[in-house]
Amino acid sequence: MRVGRKILLVGGVPILIAAAIALAGWLLLAQEERARGGAVVAGQVDRVLALARMVRDDYVEARAADRAAHAERFLALTGEAGTGLDALKAYVRTAEQTARIASAKGALDRYVARMRAFIRVTRENDGLIAEMATRAGRLIDLADRARLRQQASNADLVRSLSEKVQRLSATRDVLAGINDMRATAAEIALDRARSDRAPPAEIARLREAARGLAAALRAQGRGREAGELEGLAAAEAGGAAPGLAEWGERLLKIDSSGQRTLHEEVAQLLTYAIEANETEQATQNIAVTTLRLGQRTADALVRRDAPAAEAMLAEGERLSAKAAALPISPLIQAEMIDAVDGWRKRLTTTIDGLRRQTEMLADMDGLAAAMSASAQNLNDVFIGDAERFGASIRQILLAGAAAGLLIGTLVALAVARAITTPLRQLQGDMIALAANPAGGLVSGLRRGDELGDIARATNFFVTEIARREQALRRAKDQADAALVELRQAQADLIRAEKLASLGQLVAGVAHEINTPLGLALTTATVVRDETRGFQATLASGQLSRARLTRYVERVQEGAALLCTNLARAADLVHGFKQVAVDRVSDEQRRFPLDTWLDELLASLKPLLRQGGHAVIRTCPPLTVDTNPGALAQVVTNCITNAVVHGFAPGRPGTIRVSVAEAGAGLIRLEIADDGRGIPPENLERIFDPFFTTARSRGSTGLGMHIVHNLVTAKLGGRIALTSRPGEGTCVRVEFPAAIGAAERPALAKVVG
Amino acid sequence: MMGYRGQAARARRLRRFPALLGLSAVLAGLPGPAPAKTLVFCSEGNPESLDPAIVTTTTAMNVTWQMFNTLVEFAPGSTVIRPALAQSWSVSEDGRSYAFTLREGVRFHENARFRPSRALNADDVLFTFLRQWKPDHPFHGQGAPDGQGSQNGKAGGFAYFHDLGLADLIEAIDAPDPRTVRFRLKEPDATFLPNLAQAFASIHSAEYAATLAASGAKEALGREPIGTGPFTFAGYRPDVTVRYRAFEAYWRRPDAAEPGLAPIDGLVFSITPNPAVRLAKLKAGECHVMAFPATTDLDRIEADPDLTLAGKAELNVSYLALNTAKPPFDDVRVRRAVNLAIDRRAIVEGAYGAAGLVARGPLPPGLWATDAGLPEIAFDRAEAQRLLAEAGHREGFETDLWYPPVSRPYNPDGRRVADMIQADLARIGIRARLVTEPWSAYRAALYAGVPQTMLYGWTGDNGDPDNFLNVLLGCKAAAPGGANLARWCDPEYDALIQAARRTAAMPIRKALYAQGQAIVLREAPWAPLAHTVVHMALRRGVTGFRMDPLGRHLFEGVALRD
Repeated sequence: MRVGRKILLVGGVPILIAAAIALAGWLLLAQEERARGGAVVAGQVDRVLALARMVRDDYVEARAADRAAHAERFLALTGEAGTGLDALKAYVRTAEQTARIASAKGALDRYVARMRAFIRVTRENDGLIAEMATRAGRLIDLADRARLRQQASNADLVRSLSEKVQRLSATRDVLAGINDMRATAAEIALDRARSDRAPPAEIARLREAARGLAAALRAQGRGREAGELEGLAAAEAGGAAPGLAEWGERLLKIDSSGQRTLHEEVAQLLTYAIEANETEQATQNIAVTTLRLGQRTADALVRRDAPAAEAMLAEGERLSAKAAALPISPLIQAEMIDAVDGWRKRLTTTIDGLRRQTEMLADMDGLAAAMSASAQNLNDVFIGDAERFGASIRQILLAGAAAGLLIGTLVALAVARAITTPLRQLQGDMIALAANPAGGLVSGLRRGDELGDIARATNFFVTEIARREQALRRAKDQADAALVELRQAQADLIRAEKLASLGQLVAGVAHEINTPLGLALTTATVVRDETRGFQATLASGQLSRARLTRYVERVQEGAALLCTNLARAADLVHGFKQVAVDRVSDEQRRFPLDTWLDELLASLKPLLRQGGHAVIRTCPPLTVDTNPGALAQVVTNCITNAVVHGFAPGRPGTIRVSVAEAGAGLIRLEIADDGRGIPPENLERIFDPFFTTARSRGSTGLGMHIVHNLVTAKLGGRIALTSRPGEGTCVRVEFPAAIGAAERPALAKVVG
Repeated sequence: MMGYRGQAARARRLRRFPALLGLSAVLAGLPGPAPAKTLVFCSEGNPESLDPAIVTTTTAMNVTWQMFNTLVEFAPGSTVIRPALAQSWSVSEDGRSYAFTLREGVRFHENARFRPSRALNADDVLFTFLRQWKPDHPFHGQGAPDGQGSQNGKAGGFAYFHDLGLADLIEAIDAPDPRTVRFRLKEPDATFLPNLAQAFASIHSAEYAATLAASGAKEALGREPIGTGPFTFAGYRPDVTVRYRAFEAYWRRPDAAEPGLAPIDGLVFSITPNPAVRLAKLKAGECHVMAFPATTDLDRIEADPDLTLAGKAELNVSYLALNTAKPPFDDVRVRRAVNLAIDRRAIVEGAYGAAGLVARGPLPPGLWATDAGLPEIAFDRAEAQRLLAEAGHREGFETDLWYPPVSRPYNPDGRRVADMIQADLARIGIRARLVTEPWSAYRAALYAGVPQTMLYGWTGDNGDPDNFLNVLLGCKAAAPGGANLARWCDPEYDALIQAARRTAAMPIRKALYAQGQAIVLREAPWAPLAHTVVHMALRRGVTGFRMDPLGRHLFEGVALRD
């Protein structure tokens, strides 16, 4: 039997018993709790509903502005009650309870629906009441506007009237003047008829009258007529034609009719002024009455007094009729009537709403009572249930606990023994195996229980460790071999690079030597030909002195040329020899840095000449004791790099090679070009082996790597490279002037 | 219309509910119904009727123009004919057949009695014309102001239709389909189309008439008019107002007077006979447009920055009609004497001012047929007295002189003109008694032929000389109830005028009319007095109002700036 099962047995038996008791207890407890919970929920629902009812009453009583909060509260409460009833379903035990809950829920839903309808109607009513207030306000506003217009109009009327009255009195003056003049003229005519001659006094009076009339006419701005009058009066005084009488007649006709028109206008304006003011008063009255009516109605509506509101309706109708009958300003009459009629229409709707509200309230009260009864009933039922379940639980708990304790103890003792014995055996085997891993297998491999599993696992562990160790060793050997090969390959490559640079050197040398040698050869050929010609001349016996002299001159000239060119070639060979030797030898020697540098640069001339690049050298006379081969390789590689990578094809550049002493025993060599520079992303990798941007052009990518190695390993110096795209590259090498044991550590420290 | 607006407002309110709650403190500030824009026109007098088939004064025509449309119409501000309820028409070769194609979807107004079930169709056009034409038509009885047509017989009703001779001109009217109406004339008539553009030809709703007949309220046709026009009738209180509301389903979208400016919602004719009071109201802002300011006020109106003065030389004439049916004016010598005794210059100077022009004949100077060669009518008292003596009135005689109680476009101050004529006549021994009546009654008396002498005038309705010379002086209009107030019928003259009417050739017509004018001056049924430049004063905020040479005050498309 497996250990697990044994333990299971030990633990299991009492647990099973306890579980059985717990299950029974739990079931009963759950039932009890459900019943109790149900009772609590039912009680809560009842309370919430009672509260909702109060809130509803608050809603009904509240002012329009505060209703929203009550409505919200009510809906929240009924929502809560609804949730409560839904929750109650979870506590249900009998179909009868379910039915009860469903009926309570139905009642609640109806209640809420009624309330929603009620809220809707109330909102409508509130809106209508508000709108009625607005309409009444609008009436006041209209009346106010009419009043303001009327005030302006009154001022204007006064102006118009006084102007008209002025014109009237001026016309009256004119008319009086005419009459005066006519009377005098008539007297004069009478006198003339009597005595054929008018007394001078009367003529003077006529003149006076005419002057007065002319003045009156001028005062009215009628200069033309005044002029006519004066002409006519003068003629009349001289006893001429009766033109004046006719003229006066005409004027009288025009002005008397004008006076009548003015009279009429004044009268009409006065009538209008009075009417307008009365109208305005009436308009104000209507507006004020409407406002009051609106307020009273609103009060009635707030009191929910439908009959009173209905009475207002009749009053509104009278008001509307009054507004229609009064000569109110047409500008606002239509609006006033509309306002009153609209108000009445709203009021009718509002009263309807009010009635509906009252009905709804009664209906809701009925529903609320039914719900409350349901909720209380549910509460009672659930409490009864809970109490029954509580009693059962207590009994079951007592019996179960005693039985479980006894059986559990016995089983536990038996099982403990069966486990400890094989465990001790395994422990011994393991200790033996640790002392001698090859010592064989642990015992108990064939056991079927957990102890057998442990033995098999230990065995597997030991063999697996041995296998891994062997594999690791093999891998290490392979890696070592690869490293050796790699080093060999690198050395080969570096040698190849060196040979390549040597080849380059030889090519340079060949080129440089070619020129003096070529010249020497040509000169020699000329001398040979000259000698042949001279020999022929000599053989023919025609040698003249002049010819001899010329030959000697020619040979002399040739010899001089030969000497010069061959000496030059010898010089070159000597210089290159040293360079070449340096290249291949790895020895350290003492040499003058400036001349050495000249020779080296001379060997590089062909390379530079190809692109037309210039080299500017700055070097103080210095003697160094170092490895010239390594140094030459460094300079060559740097210059080659500048030529190959630094300069754009077809654009001649300048390379500055400058040497300076950088402190005690330290030489600084700088090789700077003004080429394209190196992109920053490549800068970091510039000393990496095989890194090149020109592999397609045969570049190996070892040049700078070798430079780095030579500087650090052979010259005991350090190297730094700075470059900015477009501004060129500068390689700075610092190395000790003499490689001695004393400086090395210091320098290494600096480099480090 | 109101129903629609009411619903819309309710819908708005419903959407506002959430906002309404808790806002009672600021209820007064709530946006109520938008303030209505009402345009008030201070008109000069009461309309004699609201039925365009009956009216003959421009005052009443202007009341009906707001509510009605005709088949064809004069473009506002001109005498150019354009389509209206008829969207097109054709005239036969012989000039005797007219076929009109009606516009589709034209709605009639509605009122408490009536809600139209259909759009305009040929039945309405037939009803409009048959009613005026056929004495046995059920609605022929509603042919006089206040429904008294039956008392006056045929001539009493539809004066305009008859004065134009249409009753005799039309041979047949029929409707081959609901959108086509055909008129067949007995003879070609150059004035037929312009005549159809006049107020009397405004199209009524046959359906409304049928509704009224069914409920026994035929007289409501003229009292609670239903038309297709831009404004619906909202109420008429004599001496106070005629009220209208904008018709939302009006068939023509008005050209916006100014972009973004809403058209007016309401229109009110505030009836104000006295020009000084009209001006006072205009200045106070109680009205926005006023008719016929007094000539003495023109300068002041022009100087007022709040007001605009609009003026237009109208095709009109102001005259003193002498009733040739009543002695002593049946004697041409007496009529000539009256003509000679009147000092027209003094009248124009005193009563018309700068707006007036002394009349030389019956036609206004702006009309193409006016005889430009006519001399000014002489002012010669001695000759007048001689003629009176010759006629046996050496001691003069007594007569009545009727003058209009309200401002007319052709006569701004009837009383003053009458005063001056009275003074002139007194000088030759004619003792004139001044008489007047309220405007509608005045007009009715004149059309009934009651006065001996009367001041009246005419504004051309269609820009055609026939509208003056035939309508005002032709024999057909001389019957009682007709517009020939002098009751003068001269067969020679009438023949000329009728001949001119039958031809379309302008030179021939012009020659015929010149002869006719000479006869009028010779026979002197009138003492022509003056022609006028008609003025209207407007408040600055009024836009889109156009003066009309035919004296119409059209408020379609007029708007108010704030």
